[in-house]
Amino acid sequence: MDILSQDRVGASILSALRGVLPHAILQEEWQTPRQVTITVKPSALQDVVKTLYYEHYGWVSVVVGNDERSLTGVFAVYYVLSMEGPEKCHIVVRVEVPADTQEFPSVTPVVPACVWGEREVRDMFGLKPVGLPDERRLVLPDDWPDDLHPLRKDSMDYRMRPAPVADNETYPFINEAKGETTIVPVGPLHITSDEPGHFRLFVDGEDIIDADYRMFYVHRGMEKVAESRMGYNEVTFLADRVCGICGYAHSVAYTTSIENALGINVPARAQAIRSILLETERMHSHLLNLGLVCHYVGFDTGFQQFFRVREKAMTLAELLTGSRKTYAMNLIGGVRRDILGEQAAETRRVSAELRVDTQRLVDILLETANVGGRVNGVGLLDKQIARDYSPVGPLVRGSGHARDTRADHAFAGYGLVKNTIRSHDGCDVLARTLVRAEEVFDSLDLIDALLDTAPGGAILTEDFEYLPHKFALGFTEAPRGEDIHWSMTGDNQKLYRWRCRASTYNNWPVLRYMLRGNTVSDAPVIVGSLDPCYSCTDRVTFVDVRKQKSVTVPIEEVERYGRERKNSPLK
Amino acid sequence: MPTLSHLLLALGQALLLFAAAPLVSGLSRFERAKMHTRHGPGIFQDYRDIAKLLKRQDITPPDAGGVFRVMPIVMLATLFVIATGLPIFTRFTPLAAVGDLITIVYLFALLRFFFSLSGIDSGSSFAGIGASRELTMGVLVEPIMMLALFVAALLAGSTNLGAIGTAIADGEVRSAAATVLAGCAFAFAIYIELGKLPYDMAEAEQELQEGPLTEYSGPSLALVKWAMALKQTLVMGWFIAVFLPFGSATELSAGGLLVGLIVFVVKLFVLFGLVAIVENSVARARFRLTPQHSWLGVGAASLAFVFFLVGL
Repeated sequence: MDILSQDRVGASILSALRGVLPHAILQEEWQTPRQVTITVKPSALQDVVKTLYYEHYGWVSVVVGNDERSLTGVFAVYYVLSMEGPEKCHIVVRVEVPADTQEFPSVTPVVPACVWGEREVRDMFGLKPVGLPDERRLVLPDDWPDDLHPLRKDSMDYRMRPAPVADNETYPFINEAKGETTIVPVGPLHITSDEPGHFRLFVDGEDIIDADYRMFYVHRGMEKVAESRMGYNEVTFLADRVCGICGYAHSVAYTTSIENALGINVPARAQAIRSILLETERMHSHLLNLGLVCHYVGFDTGFQQFFRVREKAMTLAELLTGSRKTYAMNLIGGVRRDILGEQAAETRRVSAELRVDTQRLVDILLETANVGGRVNGVGLLDKQIARDYSPVGPLVRGSGHARDTRADHAFAGYGLVKNTIRSHDGCDVLARTLVRAEEVFDSLDLIDALLDTAPGGAILTEDFEYLPHKFALGFTEAPRGEDIHWSMTGDNQKLYRWRCRASTYNNWPVLRYMLRGNTVSDAPVIVGSLDPCYSCTDRVTFVDVRKQKSVTVPIEEVERYGRERKNSPLK
Repeated sequence: MPTLSHLLLALGQALLLFAAAPLVSGLSRFERAKMHTRHGPGIFQDYRDIAKLLKRQDITPPDAGGVFRVMPIVMLATLFVIATGLPIFTRFTPLAAVGDLITIVYLFALLRFFFSLSGIDSGSSFAGIGASRELTMGVLVEPIMMLALFVAALLAGSTNLGAIGTAIADGEVRSAAATVLAGCAFAFAIYIELGKLPYDMAEAEQELQEGPLTEYSGPSLALVKWAMALKQTLVMGWFIAVFLPFGSATELSAGGLLVGLIVFVVKLFVLFGLVAIVENSVARARFRLTPQHSWLGVGAASLAFVFFLVGL
């Protein structure tokens, strides 16, 4: 694809970089006018990422490992940086990792935001980030074989599960407290979190001195299965299933990544429809979280009321997509279903109702005695720590950083309308809650504006061909923050590599700083203010652990079960 | 020595309260659901829950000792004793020996002691935190309770709960302002003692996984749940007996008892209705701030004492 060099956004950042580090960049390749991949010398990697991060207002979106031995003879690690200074673009820093030494210099000591990404590359590809301060496993279980790295192309079949060999976890939790502390374990199963995650609170009396946690109890192996057995468009539907709340954001991110890689021009109407659905999703997700905030502080009346109103957002989703969840709407090149005149009118009616109901509930929430005391000044996320760790979504916006993918890197239909970025300087649970409450109203405004401005025309283009080994980024602003997907096409009608990063993945690493200095009773409120999604972060279960077996069910059987709801094929 | 009829009354009212306690807590749940705009369970749900739990297996944590095992029985037994002593349907206490305010306060303290001890004994860190909260709440609430009741006792000239109630009902107390103020302070202490939002500190579900209850299961959990329902009924009955005794039977007769019963049920219903409104329109208080709230109660009770001294 030809991209005229004068259209390129971010070229001046690269020339500035060349000025400081003259021989660092080996190769420069533009995927779209706002997306460039630069291959750098391993010795200059730290300096390049650090310069882009701190001097050009970059944020680490994701770190992608890739086994490119069959293509170039080496492994590669991609550091994806979202540049949010004056020139808003994505710069991907690629470093080649030799197949014999399998080592590369760790960036974490200079840019802490890379810590989870490098730990995951270490687990999944067996590449060694030299100098990585935290060398514990991130994704793999404690008793997983040492030399088995699931995402290497020659390592294992996607159906293989090494037998468990130990009952006890040996994961070392880190406690940086000075004095003596008592351990309060929260999870993997805890009454306020419906998904598994293990938190260790190190407490003195009721005060949390330090905290550590581990996730990935429900890793579903989605990336491996997509790379091993799914066609390009099947992955769209798999991406929907990454999350039970904000799955649509993932399928938009995935399709956008392929569209960017192949240079597909998606019809404007399809893009507008995508944005409308993303906003519907954001609304029901935010209303869910507002309800949960009430629940965590013990104000169950508010919780139930928010869920009552949230039902209208679900009705809206059903109206627009045919299902209460915004599933199965996307294809590479567009969407599967148009919004007709009647549906548009009904959408406006429901959204007007929602506006009134939500306003009333938000007022009640903020005026309820002692709710303020539970969220004000609780779970502080320092502005500088937020800067160092690149969190996303309402979490970072609650700490005074106005970053929102919808405005920074207008994707889908967001270029058609005006986007407001909400941010608050409180750095506490209250600030995050206020950001979410305001965004619900923004979503309603956006839906109305998009219905007004959406042009007519086609909703799907099929005018493209799949080319091998093209790669690019796709991104969305999900309710919890930026979702980013990095996809590389293969030569067998399957993806060569798919890296899908959910927003909460970037938000977990800062949690420990938010928990410090609060009390045990605040812990659920703080964890809840992240609006965490455990299994999206984990992205990975075909095996029924309880029964120790897996079943393959033919699609006809599943469809039959869906209609009749009798005789479950899984029993 | 109590007469046989007094003994029968004591036993009868204790059994009746014991049997009706899950209905009282079921009613609270029902009202809560309505305020949540939920359908919610019926008012007999707590009986079903207890019946279900009684059939389940009883699992004790390996670290737990004897205290953990005997606590449900101690708790229920203590409450049963309290139930025999409170003047519930009658103006006088069925068992004068139990119906003394100091006895009742200490019986409740015994309960709290075992409840907390079982939390620590279970070995769970959540139960431990819940236990320490329970004791802290005790330290905060008992002074209010004692001070308010002592003012009432001084006014009536007796520490027998029945005598205090009679004096208040007959208007024979010297200082009306002191009585009302002591009643308010006592009501506040009772509300905290009910363990409802915003003061359900020890059993805070979202924070501590129900605190000392965390490790109980099966029949023992059923007993503890039953006991907690009975405790809520009894503390409310305690408040009614001392400060709202109007309408209860002054003589031991079938007609009087029947009227007393009906009046008691109505008062209980109204008071729990008020509690439900408060409970469902607030969030849980921060545990750290609870002492600031309880000072209010201590202040009111002290003021009642001052009023008593100056005879207002």
